[in-house]
Amino acid sequence: MDCIITIEIGTGAIRVAGFDLQGNLLGSSKGTYPTFHIKPGFSEQDPEQIFITMLYILKNFLNERIYRSGYKVNRICFSSAMHSVLPIDKKGVPLGRAMVWSDSRAKKEAKDLSNLELGKLLYTATGTPIHPMSPLNKITWLKNNEYDRFAAASKFLSIKTYIIYQLTGEYLIDYSVASATGLLNIHTLKWETNALKHAGISESMLPDLVPIFYSPAKLKKEYCRSLGVPDDTRLLIGSSDGCMATLGAGVYGDGKATVTLEESGAVRVIGREVLQDEKQRLFNYLLTEGIYVSGGPTNNAGSVFEWYATQFGDFKKAFDLEDCINTLIYDAARVAPGSEGLIFLPYLQGERAPIWNPDARGLYFGLNIKHEQRHMVRATIEGIMYAIFSIGKTLKEHREINSLSANGSFASFPLWTQMMADIFDMPVHIKPGTGSDSVALGSYLLSATDMGIYTTLDQAAENVQLPDTFEPNRDNHKVYMKHFSIFERLAVKLRDEFAAIAALQEEDNH
Amino acid sequence: MNQCLYTKESGELQNFPHIVEFALQKINTIRFDSFKKDVSGFLRLYFVIDGRFSWVIGDKQYVLYPGDLVIVLPGQCIGGEKDFFDLGTLSWIHLQVGASGQNGKADIGKWYQFTENEYRTISRILFLNTDPVLSRFKEAGRVMQTIQAELRSQELGFTTRINQLLQELLILATRQLTQQNSSRRDFPQSFLKLEHALRDNLLHQWTVDEMAAMMALGATAFSEKVKSFTGFSPLNYLINIRISEAIRLLKQTERSVTDIALDVGFYSSQHFATTFKKFTGYTPSAFRKNNTDN
Repeated sequence: MDCIITIEIGTGAIRVAGFDLQGNLLGSSKGTYPTFHIKPGFSEQDPEQIFITMLYILKNFLNERIYRSGYKVNRICFSSAMHSVLPIDKKGVPLGRAMVWSDSRAKKEAKDLSNLELGKLLYTATGTPIHPMSPLNKITWLKNNEYDRFAAASKFLSIKTYIIYQLTGEYLIDYSVASATGLLNIHTLKWETNALKHAGISESMLPDLVPIFYSPAKLKKEYCRSLGVPDDTRLLIGSSDGCMATLGAGVYGDGKATVTLEESGAVRVIGREVLQDEKQRLFNYLLTEGIYVSGGPTNNAGSVFEWYATQFGDFKKAFDLEDCINTLIYDAARVAPGSEGLIFLPYLQGERAPIWNPDARGLYFGLNIKHEQRHMVRATIEGIMYAIFSIGKTLKEHREINSLSANGSFASFPLWTQMMADIFDMPVHIKPGTGSDSVALGSYLLSATDMGIYTTLDQAAENVQLPDTFEPNRDNHKVYMKHFSIFERLAVKLRDEFAAIAALQEEDNH
Repeated sequence: MNQCLYTKESGELQNFPHIVEFALQKINTIRFDSFKKDVSGFLRLYFVIDGRFSWVIGDKQYVLYPGDLVIVLPGQCIGGEKDFFDLGTLSWIHLQVGASGQNGKADIGKWYQFTENEYRTISRILFLNTDPVLSRFKEAGRVMQTIQAELRSQELGFTTRINQLLQELLILATRQLTQQNSSRRDFPQSFLKLEHALRDNLLHQWTVDEMAAMMALGATAFSEKVKSFTGFSPLNYLINIRISEAIRLLKQTERSVTDIALDVGFYSSQHFATTFKKFTGYTPSAFRKNNTDN
């Protein structure tokens, strides 16, 4: 029996999953690797450690879960986080560690570029908002701050490119991940000359552009042997985790959007048109030719709730975050919507969409003497959800949205899902018990379409089953909207104070 | 409080070749050069009873408050910020440790009854530690006080009792240290600290007990948490780091495979080659050839 293996090279972990050809999950496995923060704003990973972790987890998974049940690998499909940059030298050897998506050292480069007329031009051409995390600004940072490393680089890769290069010897990047670099013209599907010129690099210093269905690259025979896969196994280069999650959530077609709640979060739609937002608040990534995944990301979703739990939760047993989170959510459920007038701005790690302000910080607003810890817990969750809603609201200026599908590890708490339905005032569809497997499911759908099981990606997406629906409660919606209007004003009004406090915090760090 | 200063020359310590000095001192007047910065040859423990002290330990400056226990390793510099003792009350003990105090192995003499494994782990943790101050550690003060009383009275069994108290002090200090260094609330954060310690000491033959103790966990709970967090058993996670580092060295340097094997903590190039092949499908030299020849 044939099966499909999906490999997600995520922010802090490799996730491997297996599917039979009907799309039933055969099992999954993960392995983590650390992110090093050697200076404020720096987030780096060791490319060799990612590669070794991937090989080890994949090999064990195949041996323990796939071969034992009599399956044979037909296709392997990749997905990865976006925005990573890894310079390599002439021999293909990494020059230091990779900057991962969340690395925000290029704050100044982003600010400078967004003040130029060129910034506007590049947003229109590339679909990627000008922000510190985009590879365009990361490469520019290298040029401005570590010129030796920049000059020694023969190519700038994404982490996925490096992993696939290890496996096949070819430098490849799919249009989808490339469209999140700020370097690709999403209309002509060519590297954008003005962006390259700004970063100080040439086309030959970037990997070869290929469609997400691309599969001619062959796994080196040593790996075929050690992994036990047939020589003719097709490697699908795949897309980004965000695009895969959107596909895997079945969001293809009008009126639908997906909300992903992991450590960070995003609201996304799929469509045939690029959303040209005048204020440059939304991204437009390419899924496949003529199909765009558009939306907005937030830096502050699950990570902020985990921060709250870690700092203020009750830890009876050492390191039992899960227990602690469940207790907090139980507390939050005993507070009425609106947290009795307490509002939380969740911008602990600066914010991207829709305010795009790396200096933004967190705030509890409206505290009075009657508020208890449980109000603060609920306000924290509501604040995270208001930030998600503010992205959704921006998207609605361009697209009609009347239902949501939710995925990601934090979306599966019923309190969160119901809150999402109430705040958005629309039904939320979810698969019970979903963790992050909509990324894996999206990769399966891509592979299955490649095999001809589905004729097109939209037909594949139609097949996604989301059996549970949370219906909105109108009364709660009204309460939330009264609070949200204050939230929204604060987020913008405090711009000067955010800049001032961020500057103070930066001083402390030096 | 009775002051005392017992040294090698005074009779009180004659049963204790490993104790170089024990003291409890109340400092009423500032005497210049009473505590000059100097490199210590002993393992020194200072407990602050009252007062406020500004010291330099290693190359950093620390302000000490009552309840603090200071651990100074052999070879570390220690002294008053202005080379004198500030006003206050202190007790201290200096312990003779063997020559191999570097590299995380301390020989603290033969007076103890630790099991070999526990002894190894305790000395490992004490000697890897980078923060010499354990704060709010009243228990250490209680043990120091009892040691002093035993030394003074010399009642039946005092030698055994004092050695037991010394062991207790080292155990308590090690536990306090690992708890202080690892937030029980934040596994990823504490695990990242362990990851740094592993990477900085790849040569060391780490045991699961040692790694668990660094995170203030028992070995079983530690192994379970690491497995569910990383997908690897603790020892496989360590091998994973060793192989990652080996790959980097194979690609970036001209060093021989044997040297690299030893550099990243394998005990032989044979062991390295087998493990490397198991993880990557290549022998180290084939991997190097395959990855640097284009």
